[in-house]
Amino acid sequence: MEHVQTARIPAVRVHRKTKRRNFGEKLFWYVVLILVSIGTVFPFLWIFLTAFKGPLDAVYSTPPQFIPHDPTLDNFVRVWQQLPIGNFFLNTILVAVCTTGLSVLITALAAYPFAKMKFQGRNALFYMLLATLIVPVQLTYIPSFVLAVRFFHYYNSIVALILPNIASVFNIFLLRQAFSSVPDDLIDAARMDGANELRIWWSILLPVIRPSLAAVAIFTFVTSWNDFLWPSLMLPTMANKTLPVGLAALQGMFSSDFRGTAAGVTMTVIPIMIFFILLQKQFIQGLTGAVKG
Amino acid sequence: MTKKLSLTPYLFLTPALLIIAVFVLYPILAVFYYSFTEYDIVTAPRWVGLANYQHLLQDPTFWLALRHSLIYLIVTPTLIILSILLAIAVNRNLPGIQVFRALYYLPAVSGSIAVGITWRWLFDTQGGLLNGMLIWLGVLKEPVQWLSEPAFTLPIAMLLTIWMGVGYYMVIFLAGLQNIPEELYDAAMIDGCNDWQKHWYVSLPGLRPQITFVAVISSLAALKVFDEIYVLTLRSGGILDSGVTMVFMLWKEAFRLSHAGYASAIALVLLAITLVFSVMNIRLQERDAGA
Amino acid sequence: MRTKLFALLVVASILLAACASAATQAPTSQPPAAPVKETVVVKQTEIVQQTQIVEKVVEVTPTPGPNPEAVIDGVEPNAELTMWTFWLSPTFDDYIKSTIARFEQAYPGVTVKWEDHQATFLDDYRNAFAAGNAPDVANLSDTEGWVREFAQKGLLFNLSDNLPQSVIDQYYPGLFNLQLVDGKSYQVPWYQAVAVELINKQLYEEKAGLKADEFPTNFDAFPELCQTIKAKTGTLCDLRIAYTDILRDMAYQGGVDVYDPATKKFTFDSPEGVAWLQMYVDMAKAGTIDRNALLQEDRVGLDLFTSGRAAFYQTGPQLIREVRSNNPGMYGYLAVQPAPVGKSGALSPTSMAMSIKADTKYPKAAMALAVFMTNPQSQLEFSKIVGIYPSTPASYEDSFFTQVPVAIEDQARPIAKDIISKQADIVPEYPSPADVNEIVKKAVESALYNNVPAQKALSDAVTEANTLISQ
Repeated sequence: MEHVQTARIPAVRVHRKTKRRNFGEKLFWYVVLILVSIGTVFPFLWIFLTAFKGPLDAVYSTPPQFIPHDPTLDNFVRVWQQLPIGNFFLNTILVAVCTTGLSVLITALAAYPFAKMKFQGRNALFYMLLATLIVPVQLTYIPSFVLAVRFFHYYNSIVALILPNIASVFNIFLLRQAFSSVPDDLIDAARMDGANELRIWWSILLPVIRPSLAAVAIFTFVTSWNDFLWPSLMLPTMANKTLPVGLAALQGMFSSDFRGTAAGVTMTVIPIMIFFILLQKQFIQGLTGAVKG
Repeated sequence: MTKKLSLTPYLFLTPALLIIAVFVLYPILAVFYYSFTEYDIVTAPRWVGLANYQHLLQDPTFWLALRHSLIYLIVTPTLIILSILLAIAVNRNLPGIQVFRALYYLPAVSGSIAVGITWRWLFDTQGGLLNGMLIWLGVLKEPVQWLSEPAFTLPIAMLLTIWMGVGYYMVIFLAGLQNIPEELYDAAMIDGCNDWQKHWYVSLPGLRPQITFVAVISSLAALKVFDEIYVLTLRSGGILDSGVTMVFMLWKEAFRLSHAGYASAIALVLLAITLVFSVMNIRLQERDAGA
Repeated sequence: MRTKLFALLVVASILLAACASAATQAPTSQPPAAPVKETVVVKQTEIVQQTQIVEKVVEVTPTPGPNPEAVIDGVEPNAELTMWTFWLSPTFDDYIKSTIARFEQAYPGVTVKWEDHQATFLDDYRNAFAAGNAPDVANLSDTEGWVREFAQKGLLFNLSDNLPQSVIDQYYPGLFNLQLVDGKSYQVPWYQAVAVELINKQLYEEKAGLKADEFPTNFDAFPELCQTIKAKTGTLCDLRIAYTDILRDMAYQGGVDVYDPATKKFTFDSPEGVAWLQMYVDMAKAGTIDRNALLQEDRVGLDLFTSGRAAFYQTGPQLIREVRSNNPGMYGYLAVQPAPVGKSGALSPTSMAMSIKADTKYPKAAMALAVFMTNPQSQLEFSKIVGIYPSTPASYEDSFFTQVPVAIEDQARPIAKDIISKQADIVPEYPSPADVNEIVKKAVESALYNNVPAQKALSDAVTEANTLISQ
């Protein structure tokens, strides 16, 4: 129904309570929320602060020292010089953007018939696709590896990261939900006007399910950004690696250099955090709509 | 609805089906074949019949990996409970609630490698924050070698998974909570329920579809865990293979020891297990829905 | 309508292709290819009636006289080689690049593409063979047993049979004959490290009250030493077993006969083997060694030391540069002592090598490159910039090696030649080293951490290993 509505929070119905009790309850919840947020944010905070610590700041001490007394950007410089962080970013962005673009296109195409068309084998095909969700993706890595090196010849190229991931059954499932909730009259009217299916799909349906598309896009983007095992198998050359693989290499290089490792982690984590924070509303909205059914 | 037989639906489906056929269906068949061979990926596969499966049955490391993967499933109910609690906590109209929701979600987007490295630091024996704080508070006298203690490897990895997953599933449950009609809560209130009973009798049943969904997704993810182990044990799998899970063993056998045939056999066993779990979960849901 | 759908599919595939080409053009840092000089021999022509405008510029290069470093004949013209090194970038970028430049001058027309791999070198190398694009020349570690692993699978080029004897003679025979498979060598030895003991004087002398120059000369004294250190400084011993070739450590440190080539059976559950393992087991139980460093990569143990959390660490003096860059303050209180010698009486060679892949398209060029990188001149220059030592006797004739060393990392220089010329492989060859090592590693771990008695762990491992190699 309303996909473009912002997620509304139903207010918790409060019986007539005294103002003081109301305030007490609010305070209680704030305390709880803050305590939990310390739990989720604290490790990141510690690593961000460590990244700025100079050589005179103790990294390990009792009591632990949090604020750097001797702040410096040297750690970032050092990591940047040792590893091609710029390349990691470029590669990761390229992979994530291409994967997301193609995935949204292809899965939106596939979801439409499942939602709004009748055809031979529709249900069987759909259940078969759902069944593939059960298959652990790592199972496919061995044959995919062989395909990559023998057949497609894209070993050591980021194409290897894009191609296998552009037909996510999960996305098809989510988008099918989204298409299903579009009222049929919208489509029937367009059909009667003589529009062909592709036209209907492109001009009418896609705009209507835009929030779900956004959610799927964000989800695919983040998943692609953070994917580790398959990229680590496909990208041996340092300059071709993506961020997670590069980070793992960083861990190998700087295994006791706390400050350097912290700087590396900070550099790679902050952009994706910012990306998410800017887009969180769309994401939560879309996920909300998708899980409704 | 178009009733005439046309190719249109199939054309829409073609790109996706093509990709899935090449990258999901073909690999399943290929892995099935490889599991009956000795294959090091460099030279051609050599047929060995059931030898891999026989070896599997006798391999203590395999049974250990299996046990670890099953133990890892504890993550699922933990995540469900914690996420629901968190969703209830953030499901209120306090100013700034969006900020908290975002903060709880941050671990989920940061990527398992970054988070894993951070946690390795936290648990480091002589430089880690955990030991530092515990010693400062007087709880410990000398540092504990957290990551070198075989008994702690898996729990620490599981803690990491839970920490990363809680924000993600919280959002799903939050969406579910917001779909529960107000009237049900009102009715409960009139019946004299306090806040906690309200949640027990209204929220939980209302969240059933989400709970099933999360149970399936989370348990599948738990069975497939890899990144956390890789980072926490520095690619070794832990002392005494204490962190080795099915997927870790698969990776190690195929890509470090060049026994891709054996790894394929392991992969098929993993597939069988995930199949069983998914079927169980769906049956449970059907039974509950019918009740 | 179908055409529109078809058009959409075309658009999608164009998008895919665009992503693919963008992807393949994604930055892959390659050094610019050296320009190939075309040598054209101009014959004497008859006087031509018409004047012709010659458009092509012809450089007449006289055939080069024998470059003393060009020792391989018949190098394929315009060969394009790839070379991988292990953990040498970015520190030694200049050295490697200048050596490659010198090589390309000695063998004009041959180009080299260089890549450095670090922690994942072994996995990358293995996967590269699977992918069919392994580098022609690779810097493998003799110490970690890599050469033998790949040579046994038939993936490496036989150098004993293909190098001219004069070239083979430029290396110390003990080092050329490391990691033999069926009596043939598949590597040329490159730089050698002389293992020394780095000592953190602050921890060792000031806190523990010991004297650096009385550091133990054999392993028997270690359990007590580690006990003292733990008691007085609260730090743990930073000992490391070469976890990718544990039997080698057993042989050198414990004087154990690990394998009998005559009966083709493993024998490392002998009393000497058990005694070697028991020493570590006792230390693990007493909690005096750092578990994390014991069976991990060298870097982990080194970093434990560099961050000031270990009293001593055995490694090559060239890694003192890591100390200098990671913890410059420590450099001031560092001491260097000779490494303790095991019961075998021999120091295990800490040797890096160059190997060639068996199916290289340019065998002569690859041999030329491997030999060039490891020739006396190149190795001498390498020694001058970092504390490693050549595997070629000729290098030592330079006065550099008779100078009295000043810096701490050079303390081993005067005695290096003596040590290196005597190094040899005392571990016999056996099949499936990677799988056997897995078995041994599990046995060692179960004895160290799972209370399995050392004798039982080793005996079970011997049985399992014998079964494995008899299949």
